[in-house]
Amino acid sequence: MPADADLAISVQGLTKSYGSVEALRGIDFDVRRGEVLALLGPNGAGKTTAVEILEGYRKRDGGTVSVFGIDPERRDRGLRAKVGIVLQECAVDPYLTVTEAITQRSGLYPRPRPVGEVIGLVGLEAKARARVKTLSGGQQRRLDLGLALVGNPELIFLDEPTTGFDPSARHEAWDVVRGLCAEGRTVVLTTHYMDEAQVLADSVTVIAAGRVVASGSPDTLGGRDHGMTTVRFVLPSGVSVGTLPLPVGLEPQQRGGVVEFRIDEPTEVLHALTGWAVERGEVLSGLTVNRPSLEDVYLALTSRDLP
Amino acid sequence: MNDLMIAKEQVRYEQKAYWRNPMAAVFTFMFPVVFLVVVGTSAGSFRVPGTSLRYDQYTVVAMLTFGLIAACYTNLGMVVCNRRDSGVLKRMRGTPIAIGSYMGGIIGSIMINVAVLTIVVVGIGMSFYHLHFPYHPLATVVTLVVGIVTFCALGLAVTIIIPNADAAPAVINGIYFPIIFISGVFYPISNGSVLSKIADWFPIRHMITALVSAFEGGPGSGVRPRDLVVMLIWAAAALVFTARRFRWEPRHR
Repeated sequence: MPADADLAISVQGLTKSYGSVEALRGIDFDVRRGEVLALLGPNGAGKTTAVEILEGYRKRDGGTVSVFGIDPERRDRGLRAKVGIVLQECAVDPYLTVTEAITQRSGLYPRPRPVGEVIGLVGLEAKARARVKTLSGGQQRRLDLGLALVGNPELIFLDEPTTGFDPSARHEAWDVVRGLCAEGRTVVLTTHYMDEAQVLADSVTVIAAGRVVASGSPDTLGGRDHGMTTVRFVLPSGVSVGTLPLPVGLEPQQRGGVVEFRIDEPTEVLHALTGWAVERGEVLSGLTVNRPSLEDVYLALTSRDLP
Repeated sequence: MNDLMIAKEQVRYEQKAYWRNPMAAVFTFMFPVVFLVVVGTSAGSFRVPGTSLRYDQYTVVAMLTFGLIAACYTNLGMVVCNRRDSGVLKRMRGTPIAIGSYMGGIIGSIMINVAVLTIVVVGIGMSFYHLHFPYHPLATVVTLVVGIVTFCALGLAVTIIIPNADAAPAVINGIYFPIIFISGVFYPISNGSVLSKIADWFPIRHMITALVSAFEGGPGSGVRPRDLVVMLIWAAAALVFTARRFRWEPRHR
């Protein structure tokens, strides 16, 4: 495999089966250094399997995988020192304090971050001397993140990092992730939240039924940048849909007084519509112009029947 | 830090976590001590057949064995199952720590617990039951070390057949409780009896007879090679089983 110094992760033709169940049917993706990659996909799509192979927890059946040029299956200690992992469950001895847990972990790494700095980074200063079992669920997850960061990792795996967080805690967690990329670290994130992927990710890879069904930036994924735009407005009273100045061939739908149509390029039709309304002294109340959201694209991609 | 220093640090954290969790300490220390006091105050001063120890003195040795099994087999089995289910083991495997440093730290901490237990139990025996300081200190230490190795190996091996942490107490205790009764932990079992012949297949009775030999006076080193060999066969079998089948992660649900 050509060693590309710019790549933190390279995955080619990765396959993995559990018994007769094919979890991964040959997936490819790359992650550049300093990039945030969001792996999206329904439960059971194979994203956790893919991530756990990258983390060195699982052996693959086929394909090539490289993390900083090293095969994670070798469980190389130097590689593990460069990688931070946040799993879904908080996994810390409940009888240690926050400071003790982070200090213990920091002793395992060649170039750890200062313990106090890590505690501040995840906002646990007030709980530094509290035992882990007395922390709330959200605090335990922040401790988990702190444990993944104390080794000063170049690459961080975050498995659904904000599941169960309240909105303000989510935004704080996002700030932490943004801080990590600002420091040039690489982040691989799995999530169910499209807004999270939209806000954090430089690139998005969608996995469904063990295959990559789309990849790209959050703004261009699945042709989102040139996808059908939806225009909606309330039909002015006394006007029938047929009299609207719409191009031939466009088939507007009317539901409860609301007109809706889809069009690739809305500029011209909007100009005609709004000009028509202004001339007549009418108002197009409730006018909205929407491109498909990342969620729309995701749902369309993952709902296709796959073999 | 090198691997040895990391293991030493791990011992420190294991000790902190151990003494802060009352359950584990109760099982290892309180049960043997309470039983020792109960038997000691009610037992007559008859000699246990085949030994030069009185019943209360024999109970000191038996309770040292009982506590050692709790500290090694029971405690290690529970710790591993709990940490496996909660994901601590998986997390540790994602760090650069060497398996030897991690397991060495856990077992080092257990050795400290056994040392404390030995001092407490033997101290009670010497203070209240006229137990002599072990006549063969070296044989005592050798037997205790073989016991630690054997029962830690069995504690690791038993986790393989335990599906999840909820099932751990039932499986761990269910396996060894019957053996403890026929091995003479709570009352002496005479040599040559049917029970003793069954118990001789398992390591617990050999641990007691080896310790009795080390504690009582007599010619020779006090070491009972045959007992120790039986224990070490169990240890080797348990370690092979562990090396092949040990699970770091919970079974998929």
